[in-house]
Amino acid sequence: MKEDFLEIRDLKKSFGTGEARQEVLRGMDFTVKKGEFCVLLGPSGSGKSTLLNIIGGIDTPDSGFVSINGDKLEEMNEKQLTLYRRKHLGYVFQMYNLIPNLNVKENIEVGAYLSDRPLDVEEVLTTLGLQEHKYKYPNQLSGGQQQRVSIGRAVVKNPDILMCDEPTGALDYKTSKEILALIEDCNKKYGNTVIMVTHNEAIKNMADHVIKLRDGIVRHNDINTEKITAAELEW
Amino acid sequence: MKNPLIKRIPRELKSEWHKYLVIMIFMVVMIGVISGMYVGHDGMLEAVYSGRETLNLEDGSFELSEEASAELLKALGTGQMADVRQHFIDKGFETADKEWAKTADRYHLDEPHTARSVKIYENFYRNEEEDCNNDGKADATVRIFSSDSKVNMASFNEGRAPESDSEIAVDRMHASNVKIKLGDVIKVGGKSFKVVGLLSYVDYLTLHESNTDLMFDAFGFDVAMVTPKAFEELTSRIHYNYAFKYDKAPEDKVAKAEYSGDFLKALVTCTVVHDVEIKSYLPEYLRQASNFAVSDIEGDSAGAAILCYILIGVIAFIFAVTISNTIDRESAVIGTLRASGYSKTEMVVHYMTMPLVVTVLGAIIGNVLGYTLFKDIAKNLYYESYSLPPFQSVWSRTALVKTTVIPLVLMFFINLFVIVKKLQLSPLRFLRHDLVKSRRTKARRLPRWSFLRRFRLRVLFQNMPNYGILAFGVIFIELMMCFAFGLPDSLDHYAKEAPGMMFAEYQYMLMDSRDADGKTIETAENTAERFSAETLLYPKQKASFREGMGSGQDESVTVYGIADNSAYVSLDGKTKNGGVCVSSAFAKKFGLKEGQQITLNAEYENKSYIFTIAGIVDYEGGIAVFMDTEGFNAAFGREDGDFSGYFSRNEITDIEAKNIAAIITKNDIIKVTNQLDHSMGGIVRVFKYALIVMTAALIYLLAKIIIERNEQAISMAKILGFKNGEIGSLYIIPTALVVIAVSILGFFAGYGLMIWVFKLFMLKMDGYFAFYMSVPSMILSVLYLLIGYAVVSVLDYLRIKHIPMDVALKNIE
Repeated sequence: MKEDFLEIRDLKKSFGTGEARQEVLRGMDFTVKKGEFCVLLGPSGSGKSTLLNIIGGIDTPDSGFVSINGDKLEEMNEKQLTLYRRKHLGYVFQMYNLIPNLNVKENIEVGAYLSDRPLDVEEVLTTLGLQEHKYKYPNQLSGGQQQRVSIGRAVVKNPDILMCDEPTGALDYKTSKEILALIEDCNKKYGNTVIMVTHNEAIKNMADHVIKLRDGIVRHNDINTEKITAAELEW
Repeated sequence: MKNPLIKRIPRELKSEWHKYLVIMIFMVVMIGVISGMYVGHDGMLEAVYSGRETLNLEDGSFELSEEASAELLKALGTGQMADVRQHFIDKGFETADKEWAKTADRYHLDEPHTARSVKIYENFYRNEEEDCNNDGKADATVRIFSSDSKVNMASFNEGRAPESDSEIAVDRMHASNVKIKLGDVIKVGGKSFKVVGLLSYVDYLTLHESNTDLMFDAFGFDVAMVTPKAFEELTSRIHYNYAFKYDKAPEDKVAKAEYSGDFLKALVTCTVVHDVEIKSYLPEYLRQASNFAVSDIEGDSAGAAILCYILIGVIAFIFAVTISNTIDRESAVIGTLRASGYSKTEMVVHYMTMPLVVTVLGAIIGNVLGYTLFKDIAKNLYYESYSLPPFQSVWSRTALVKTTVIPLVLMFFINLFVIVKKLQLSPLRFLRHDLVKSRRTKARRLPRWSFLRRFRLRVLFQNMPNYGILAFGVIFIELMMCFAFGLPDSLDHYAKEAPGMMFAEYQYMLMDSRDADGKTIETAENTAERFSAETLLYPKQKASFREGMGSGQDESVTVYGIADNSAYVSLDGKTKNGGVCVSSAFAKKFGLKEGQQITLNAEYENKSYIFTIAGIVDYEGGIAVFMDTEGFNAAFGREDGDFSGYFSRNEITDIEAKNIAAIITKNDIIKVTNQLDHSMGGIVRVFKYALIVMTAALIYLLAKIIIERNEQAISMAKILGFKNGEIGSLYIIPTALVVIAVSILGFFAGYGLMIWVFKLFMLKMDGYFAFYMSVPSMILSVLYLLIGYAVVSVLDYLRIKHIPMDVALKNIE
């Protein structure tokens, strides 16, 4: 039995004041185990991105806490939060946000530079199928290839948690499945805990752990016992 | 592992080369010119200062009626006063006591005296006629020295010292003016000489024939060197001029005055005892020919300093805008990097690198050009004015500090401020492109104009912050334009107005109120009116732009004692209660007000005078203080009836020239403008044209920012089907309107600022004149800017045309 790695307790967050006040997270509780592939599923406005940002230490809750491996984020100052992100997290966004004047390999090195125990950049390039593109600049790549680079930049750090915010949101069906397969591979190969935010219901089938959100609360918190591979996904 | 972000710097430089090239050219030219001016300035001073040592510049000189005996020279060398009284007794003068009293009174011989031992050198010369084009007519007076002189020696700019008796070396400046070249044959004293050298005598940096000449004359006067034998063979009378150097050199101006006074007493007494007449006596510190150019060069850095400060402001401003724009553009990348764990410090360092790299590069190239190409501009400016020794390139610490250290420090702190402020936001806000502190929640309501007009108005509102930056830039440009147009205008205007500023057409400054026989110097001229005058110094340290290497710290003030009911200066009885009136130029320059106290110091004595300002006299021609004669005599310990000279409406012809120290006419008043025109006129004219290019460059950078920020919207407009022309009109017309409006407003702001800057500038110069700009110059200063913009708008249109449609498609979030 794996131990709890990420713990979220009574997490609340709202935006705006007065009548315009909107409660985005209304008390969330769940835990994620180390090495788990966890999917946060929900429609637009359900609070999943806000939740991911809070777990990632780039947003703060109004109350409640997030604890990673026993360390509570709320007790960290800005410097410690930066260090936390640097040492433990890898981020993949819907937009790839690559640095336009660095080539593929260098964009991945941007991630490697931050880590004390980075993976071998060449190996990551091979894993992601980017060897032949490694000297290309982002504007010479397709959307799917750019997203691979963005995953590479996150994975090369060998982070404890890989945070993925709608990583396939801007991609077509085929490319989306390829990207999901890559994240799945990384999860298996490097043992990172993956937390993926998506509104694509189909993706839940490849996860170990599915948390469904609606209106700022956890509606379902399920362990998936009939997990399939990314390649088998259909939507 | 090295931070991979570093690799972005050279690529950014390459990909945005046109932008950085513009900035770099801007910096290189400005830094180069200013560095060149400082290097030229410091090198020239170094050449002059080192020449004083190596060429053995005198501490003073005196001319005797005949060659001095060995005994006299020996006596003078000790610096001791001779016993004149005993001499008179020995001579059998019955009135020895009376004779002694007269001499003692005139030269203060009864006052305590310290012997200043000196080394005396022969420095004989002859004044001959020079015929430089061999037409049989004298073109100039040439002062001939022998080449074996061991004092006041010459350095050679070209050629060499004469070696044969038919060779001559002449002053470089004079040669240049009258077109004498090496190898030419000229006639001096009726004898032909071949010119083998162009020289600069250390005691004739300006060709003042007489120390009382207000302006030097490098056309009508020359100094030259011939061999001792050739010197002997010339026929005009020898001037028995002796130069002396103190065995123990005085340290400062006050000490120099004391030493000079002491030596004069020894000279006066010894010559009386040896029955030799003194023809002239001149301590070196009062010698115009060796000091005029130096003090001019020393005070000459004010213009360069002003340019430097404007430059630093402009460059810092451009970088602040560029960086801020880059951060906005890279907002999502910054957000991602911050979310991935890059610290704020790492990001700050990253974005600081580019401006610092560009500044360092610009400073290095600029300084290299400063030490090579631009140095010669400054050097030639000086060479066109004075008879200076060969230039010595020196490492100018001032140039380095002003053109490299200060811009770097400024770049560092301004960019640090802008970048730290920009990067304060959370990673999340960067990811969301949410970089503005407050956002309007409601759209502005617009009048029911046509769609395109409203669109333009929206563009205008949307880009307000950018236009704000543009306005700031335009004000800077206008400030520079006002400087470039206003300085020559002000010089011309002042020169034109100067005659009207004179309160007397002629001011005759006398050597003494009594002639050699002790008789008061009188004139039959009806309009002549006696006045007294003293020159004091007003400390102006509060305005110092540049410390060290320049005097420029004190303003020379003429204090006049004015006769009651003067026909020339009306004091309206204001000075009766011990107060003084100051000239309006003095009041304006230093912001003096009635009732205020001013302290004036004697230049060569340790004395200060405190005066209370009782009124302001409308006199723009000079820095002056006026008081009634009674007050003047009391303040300076003068006797009743003592005076310094005459004011007159007409020329005075009945005073012997030898009794006149100087005649002040309007030329003296416009000395300050002449001096400025000499030293800055050329560079300002070049600067004006350089400004047009810089204006276009600056607007190019700023307009580029506006287009870049709207790239996505422009791309989207193209997708929607707008034509390039329509999009151009949407984005260029609002900018054009803003540029026109801001140019006009910027002109007024720049003009106002320039008046203030000019005041500071004047503080560094001697004298005063107000900033003036003619109407055509005002119009041109705005027009130049608009011409610059017209060029840029064409480039803008091309830029809009080249924005691809996928910019909008690729960035949908």
